[in-house]
Amino acid sequence: MSAVTPIAPTPVAPVATRAPRRRRVRKLGWNLVGLVVLIVMVFPVYWMVATAFKPGQQVLSYTPQWVPLNPTLDNFTEAINRPHFWDSVKNSLIITTVVVALSLVLAFLAALALAKFRFYGRKAFIVLILGVQMVPLTALIIPLYILMSRVDQVNKLSGVIAMYLTFVLPFTVWTLRGFLLGVPKELEEAAMVDGTTRFGAFVRILLPLVGPGLVATSIFAFIQAWNEFIIAYVFLQSPEKQTLMVWLASFTSLRGTEWGPLMAGATLTSIPVVIFFLLVQRRIAFGLTAGAVRG
Amino acid sequence: MAEIQFTHVSKTYGNDFKAVKDLNLKIGEGEFVVLVGPSGCGKTTALRMVAGLEEITDGEIRIGDRVVNDLAPRDRDIAMVFQNYALYPHKTVFENLAFGLRMRKVPKAEQRKRVEEIARILGLTDMLTRRPAQLSGGQRQRVAMGRAIVREPKAFLMDEPLSNLDAKLRVQMRAEIARIQQTLKVTTLYVTHDQVEAMTMGHRVAVMRDGVLQQLDTPQRLYDAPADLFVASFVGSPPMNLMEASVEQGGEGIFLRLGETTLELPGDVVAERPALRGFAGRRVAIGIRPEDVREASGWDGARLRGRILLVESLGAEQLVHIEITAHPLERTDLVDAAAQPPSPSLGVDGLERTVTLLGRFDRHLLLAPGEAVELAIDPRLLHFFDLETGVAIPKAEVPVAAEVEVAG
Repeated sequence: MSAVTPIAPTPVAPVATRAPRRRRVRKLGWNLVGLVVLIVMVFPVYWMVATAFKPGQQVLSYTPQWVPLNPTLDNFTEAINRPHFWDSVKNSLIITTVVVALSLVLAFLAALALAKFRFYGRKAFIVLILGVQMVPLTALIIPLYILMSRVDQVNKLSGVIAMYLTFVLPFTVWTLRGFLLGVPKELEEAAMVDGTTRFGAFVRILLPLVGPGLVATSIFAFIQAWNEFIIAYVFLQSPEKQTLMVWLASFTSLRGTEWGPLMAGATLTSIPVVIFFLLVQRRIAFGLTAGAVRG
Repeated sequence: MAEIQFTHVSKTYGNDFKAVKDLNLKIGEGEFVVLVGPSGCGKTTALRMVAGLEEITDGEIRIGDRVVNDLAPRDRDIAMVFQNYALYPHKTVFENLAFGLRMRKVPKAEQRKRVEEIARILGLTDMLTRRPAQLSGGQRQRVAMGRAIVREPKAFLMDEPLSNLDAKLRVQMRAEIARIQQTLKVTTLYVTHDQVEAMTMGHRVAVMRDGVLQQLDTPQRLYDAPADLFVASFVGSPPMNLMEASVEQGGEGIFLRLGETTLELPGDVVAERPALRGFAGRRVAIGIRPEDVREASGWDGARLRGRILLVESLGAEQLVHIEITAHPLERTDLVDAAAQPPSPSLGVDGLERTVTLLGRFDRHLLLAPGEAVELAIDPRLLHFFDLETGVAIPKAEVPVAAEVEVAG
């Protein structure tokens, strides 16, 4: 998922003069930097997966084992057979799906209002949305907990979903607003003259055009909801209500951390994110509005 | 096919900015009317009010016999071509063309037939599966036109559809749009800031300024008998030469004093404009088209002496800038800002005011900058305007001012 993909230096004909050679050296330098960044980003992921396949005694060996010598699936079976694994999977899936779906619908409509309509307090609202994101989550946990317990939403998935929306929505609204602003208003007007209602123009013209924005924000919402730990840990007390991230924490107990099964569990929990990303990433085709107006 | 009629239409924006003021205009069935004026004159607002994209503050717009003030755009049965084409980028050319038909629940087979027919007319047949991004500017323009035509609407509204094309393509599309309009005979309201487009395309041209309709007339009448200084300065390229002159009564005759030259106005010119006598002893604005400025050889009337500043060769003719002694127009607020000549040359002492006259001369005339020339000004070709109001001093048999009222 690294943004920097190293490009193999293209072979240059031997007749290359001095100037292209200098350019080639510089290109090589940039490629090396890209490679380093890639390694830094990929290594932890690799180490997680590698550890998951290592038998117990190799996990904490003093000489690091770069490649598991006797790969085993024991850690995986142990992780899956832990109590509440499937409950957690179910809870995580429910929470994530609902958060992604709700945030897309709400954020699209909110962004539409902010981008296309002029109303009193619009500017203040936009600034507020940005400002809310500056407040650290940990500072909000206690007031939010009190608030949610008053409305009887503690230890319920619906409560956690509401909490997640509070910090997913500002970002998604803000992002989608940007995408909507990029669609010239003449497109809607043309659609309205062509025979759609205002809402019809939103659905038939705007919605397809902000597709890439919806994909980008849905990825964000998915990752946020799937990977969130603190809120889930604080709000969901009973083990059958917990999410996968909280379930992962149960590998660390007073007796220490069971690294093998923990890494196996972590590997398993990261699979859905990867799958989701692979499913939607091809739809991130930026510049889809090209050709709408004069080039 | 239907008429479009504006009756006392005004548009005021929230901050009390009046974009259109009391507009009265009737576009006949099948007529091609061009709204023209400098940017910000309210012409686009007027068009958008017809489309239903802008609310009407005051007055009434009718399409056919229906008042459309409160109708949604889709219920007005009009088609619009936007300045930036506004093609749907995620749809193919075919889908773009068919969109309006689909929204109106035209049967699939009929949709296909009509789209293919339009594509054939516009030469888009090979491009039906492409997306707008894969088209050239001219092709996009055609698709935008096609999208309007295919619906067979009551009226076309076009908002500067050619302003994004390069000069050559613009001339070509100009003729093409005029031809299509002639074939289909659809009522068309066309907005542009380009007076050449207005003159070449419209059956009638409506010149607007600051939200007010100045004159509505055929292109030729607009050119020959501008209703006021603004129209005179706006229509025509290069624009009309405008300056001040004093009217003097001398015995039976009326004389025009222009710098150090005195022109006698022939009897028929005065008879044509009876109001001119009333201006005796006062100053008026006079105008003369560049093609009416002539070199004086063979002319036995009064001559104007001038000095050539610049000669621009246009191939078929030459455009000559000539400095003459005359009083420049002081009321610059009455003329088109873009048409104003460069400020008088440096070192003017106030007594010797000069005006730069543009003349359109035969290319065979040998002229060089710095030379002195003598010019013949035929008084019959002059235009006269009231300096206070900017309104043309009317000709008796064709009262120009009354012509505007007819539009109401």
